Amino acid sequence: MSNPRLPESFTDLEPLADVWALATETERNQQRLTSTMTQIQAFYDTMLPRMEAVLTYLGQFSIKYPPEPIDALPEEAQRLLYLSLAMAEVTTAVELYQQPGVPDGFDPRRFIPDRERMKR
Amino acid sequence: MQDTVQDTVQDSVQDTLQTRTNGKRWTLDYPELGTAPLPVTPYLSPEYFTQEREKIFNRTWLCTGKRVEEISQAGDYLVQNVEVAKTSVLLVRGKDGMVRGFHNVCKHRGNRLAWDGYGSCRSGLTCKFHGWTYAPDGRLVGVPEEDMFFDFDKRDYGLSPVATDVWEGFIFINLDPNPPETLHQYLGEVVDLLRGYSFDRLPVSWSYTAEQTCNWRILRDSQLEFYHGKSLHQRFAGSVMVNKQQPSCHVLDTKLFRRHSMMSFYGDRRNTQRTPMELLVAQFGTSLKTFPSLRDMDRWPLGVNPTRSKQWFFDIYYIFPNFHMVILSPFLYVAHTMWPVTVNRSIWNARGYFPQPATAAELVTREYNKCLARDVWLEDGSTLENTQRGIETGILTQYPVQDQELLIRHAHKVAEDLIAD
Repeated sequence: MSNPRLPESFTDLEPLADVWALATETERNQQRLTSTMTQIQAFYDTMLPRMEAVLTYLGQFSIKYPPEPIDALPEEAQRLLYLSLAMAEVTTAVELYQQPGVPDGFDPRRFIPDRERMKR
Repeated sequence: MQDTVQDTVQDSVQDTLQTRTNGKRWTLDYPELGTAPLPVTPYLSPEYFTQEREKIFNRTWLCTGKRVEEISQAGDYLVQNVEVAKTSVLLVRGKDGMVRGFHNVCKHRGNRLAWDGYGSCRSGLTCKFHGWTYAPDGRLVGVPEEDMFFDFDKRDYGLSPVATDVWEGFIFINLDPNPPETLHQYLGEVVDLLRGYSFDRLPVSWSYTAEQTCNWRILRDSQLEFYHGKSLHQRFAGSVMVNKQQPSCHVLDTKLFRRHSMMSFYGDRRNTQRTPMELLVAQFGTSLKTFPSLRDMDRWPLGVNPTRSKQWFFDIYYIFPNFHMVILSPFLYVAHTMWPVTVNRSIWNARGYFPQPATAAELVTREYNKCLARDVWLEDGSTLENTQRGIETGILTQYPVQDQELLIRHAHKVAEDLIAD
């Protein structure tokens, strides 16, 4: 499928997925840092009441290690996973800092996730 | 009645403070360390840095921070650059299962043999320059146009070995061709204290690398105390660290070894903020904040929460000179490797070791922990270059070290002794 959608019971989250269902931590972090706090809060507030159902749904898919399991998921589950990983990404912005980035923090663009460049 | 209760509480606080003043301060147990401020020289001096290179980094065991699981198959390799020693080390898993270290230098003309961080060379590792090929055990096995060399024997041109050993899955190297002690002798008491910890069951779950324009000790010292927890990490740790009995005390225990050290920190997890995502994560997986049940403490390794306190936050273990672990539970730890580059440049690798996710839902709960740890590290990272800049102003010639920053004082003394040796 060239244009993956979310699983049927989560189609209401589709507008959020268009923005936030991003495949890498760097992209999700960048989306967080370039969003306003109002946008982040809206994303969080919409996702939060659905997270129990989302995690229950994703809990059906068991994974193996290695290799990284994400590619083995059905496309719609993968899109839901990416969306949920973005929820994990913005949690500290909402619950800890009340602003998009870490207050006075080190530049995350210089704090590089090795996993994205490591050979597997 | 109320007065009496109040008095009793007051008395017990007084007693504790008095006891600490009368000899229970950790630093006073080590008179050789003194209590004087420490000099800023190591952060600034190119001459001191040269001494550290020659007397420390070229001679002691260095933890690469990399694990044997990362090169699990025969022929798998990784490259560990050691800029301070102007070298690069190739760590390769042999067909016999052994992990060996070699200088990453082709013995023909000196080209760097492997350029990538990770790779596999089951059929041999070939230099890109003239095509010389080495077996995973370092033997030179292929030389194009070999018959055109003079008095040439491939056995004379194997890769130059680097002393390499493994402790609990961590790969260590020693650039001294003849290390005066084995890795296990070097690690000393730490081996027994952490025996039985689930290192082999916790995969590298996240890993970040950052280059910092600061001396490597600024990076290291920032991780050797948690005095900064109440201030720099107040949003994450502030409420957990509140100690009503002894407001100035955040250390439960500390042990100084010949080279290494550990410190165990007070924290009351009942005071963790139960935010909505925190509750969900605890329901569907493991949370770094609400973590571990303290129920089975008697079965934990001796060195994890050594006082068996119910108000236990975490332990740090410092393996001199460049490795540091934060043990948050029997099944969750983070580790830092700090590499000097020049006197005011260093490389920081920070990693999280976390239970293997069994479902896609646990990938999400792991991501929550990862982002939380990362953001706390970004708080740490914010001070490093600013501290270097502050010290470079020349305003400080020395700095005071409080009792619970004892590991910094000890690490400084260990380095001083090695440099004087």
